[in-house]
Amino acid sequence: MLRHDLYLAWRYLSFHKTRTTILIACLSLMGTLPLGLHSLLDAGERQMTARAEATPLLVGAKGSSVDLTLTALYFGEAASPAITMAEADRVGASGWADPLPIYSRFRVKGQPLVGVRLDYFDYRKLAPKHGELPALLGDCVLGHDAAENLGLKPGDTLPTTPENLFDLAGVYPLKLHVTGVLAQSHTPDDQAVFVDLQTGWVIEGLGHGHTEQKPAARPQALPFGMAESTLQADARLVTYTEITPENIDSFHFHGDPAGYPISAVIALPHDRRAATLLKGRYLADDLKTQIVEPPKVTRSLLHNIFRIGALFDGVFALVGAVNLLALGLVFSLSLRLRRRELETIYLLGCSRATVFKLVLAELVLLGLAAAILCRLLLLAVDHYGETWIRQFLLS
Amino acid sequence: MPSIIIRFIPFLLVLAAQAVTPARADLGTAPLRIVASNYPLAYFAERIGGSRVQVNLPVPAGEDPAFWKPDAKAVGLMQKADLIALNGAEFEKWLVRVSLPKLKQVDTSDGFKDRYIHIENAVTHSHGPGGSHSHGGTAFTTWLDFEQAARQAEALAQAMIRKRPEFKSSFTENLAALTSDLKSLDTEAQHVLGSRSAEPLLASHPVYQYLARRNALKLESVHWEPGEMPTAGEWEALHKLLAGHPAKTMLWEAEPSPEIAAKLKALGVAAVAFEPCANRPESGDFLGVMKRNLERIGRTP
Repeated sequence: MLRHDLYLAWRYLSFHKTRTTILIACLSLMGTLPLGLHSLLDAGERQMTARAEATPLLVGAKGSSVDLTLTALYFGEAASPAITMAEADRVGASGWADPLPIYSRFRVKGQPLVGVRLDYFDYRKLAPKHGELPALLGDCVLGHDAAENLGLKPGDTLPTTPENLFDLAGVYPLKLHVTGVLAQSHTPDDQAVFVDLQTGWVIEGLGHGHTEQKPAARPQALPFGMAESTLQADARLVTYTEITPENIDSFHFHGDPAGYPISAVIALPHDRRAATLLKGRYLADDLKTQIVEPPKVTRSLLHNIFRIGALFDGVFALVGAVNLLALGLVFSLSLRLRRRELETIYLLGCSRATVFKLVLAELVLLGLAAAILCRLLLLAVDHYGETWIRQFLLS
Repeated sequence: MPSIIIRFIPFLLVLAAQAVTPARADLGTAPLRIVASNYPLAYFAERIGGSRVQVNLPVPAGEDPAFWKPDAKAVGLMQKADLIALNGAEFEKWLVRVSLPKLKQVDTSDGFKDRYIHIENAVTHSHGPGGSHSHGGTAFTTWLDFEQAARQAEALAQAMIRKRPEFKSSFTENLAALTSDLKSLDTEAQHVLGSRSAEPLLASHPVYQYLARRNALKLESVHWEPGEMPTAGEWEALHKLLAGHPAKTMLWEAEPSPEIAAKLKALGVAAVAFEPCANRPESGDFLGVMKRNLERIGRTP
């Protein structure tokens, strides 16, 4: 008997396709929006927490701990103020932790250019899928997404982007050699172009090589004469610097390496006691550096995101209630419009209960279809949520 | 009955394998891969680690490791190592131009960096495949002071223990034996060279600074190569040097050519090879080479 009710309800809903589709869409979205948002927030929390939990301590310039964490862990565009290599040396010399300095000031064609020591790759378990890790000055290795976005592979070159086109005294862009592409890690590392710290400092202008200049071609043509040994820079300006096997030996650095800039130092304490002792070193107010615990910073950041989530929940609950009322109204109006049809069914000999069951069957089918659609949409959110979070929130 | 026995054979084999496994447990551990930047460090690593280490010296035979420049392949080898043993004291001038994991590096002379000898007025010259170079900056043949060599071995052993704490007792035991050998060598050096501390000495190359300091030698250096006859100007400079520093013995990194030796002999200077042993010797080992060096000096009147 129930089968017949459902069949009639199905035929009725199939006949009124547009109305049925709108009702199913409204009902499913009422469920999908709050649940999908929570799924996305959970994915974001998982990703941000996982990276932060893997980074026990972070040393950087005094100021916003959120900016420092976002710069060092997520290579955010708003770079935190630089500190010096002396800070990394200080962490290492303490004997309590291993330092991993990071320099993420530059961007190249929209991708973060991150200067690290090779220990970073071991620490983050990043290995090349194609090619090798950087070996010599001027080499770079690309994160998975960076390689896709830039369309580069091992053996290609990548010129760095000048910081300021109008800085005539600035350093030339450096032509980086792509030595490898890292396997996908589903972290912000996928977006980065990694270079050795020393290459980063060459880009900064702290290290350079000397190009051989050719003797002046026509010294006698000049008004005040010119000695034959006089050198003259080529009129065709070099538009970039390239480190090659021929000139690599001429590259050198000036000044004390301890004074070279870095963005932050990831400190890997040997044990809990060492972590506590190291944190104690940064308690003085007059220090220009701070030590932060990325898990705590991230949790605080996520707490704010969850507050936004709660606000969304409120909004969705209100909108959902209004939607339900509107749907109730639509349904009651629809019943009023169908009064003659329902009366006919009754006159044909069906009881009032049967008519009620018919209407109920329609509601059950609508609810079921909406639930299925809602589930499918949530599955899509679950499947692509991690990627969306990486693309729109973390990268 | 035979079928029962056959059925039990796999079981017995598993039992036998399990019985054998504990005895071979530590042998199953992958050896500690060490890359050393010069032969003395490679020798120390081999002595300390024994069969538990796999030591690699990427410098080609016949090339001076102090002026060797690693290519991408050599850097890749170092990147894949568990430990990169560095001499320090500016021995690895290529370090700023390559990408190596810092946490795998051990600077074996860092513990006595306040004792480095700084060279001024260095001369740039050329020989061998490395092209022109200078001995300016810091004197880097730290291991020729055998007490310093022992400290370098100890620093290396500590780094090896940090990487493989399970072999601590073995590494410590082997280090003790190596330290004892180096101490004996130091005593022998002081015995052989101590008697010459009042005597002016010459060196063909400025690489014996730590040997001279440790043994209080009055040593002056020129920049001569064993296989290249010095120019007339260089002989002239030697004459002037000998006038103020009347040396009777000149230390060489390798046996000089017979022509050079003969010309020196005519000046009353005996040529004695004292190999710094920066690269792997064709025969023997570090201790053997150093003992032969001391024997040669001992035999020289």
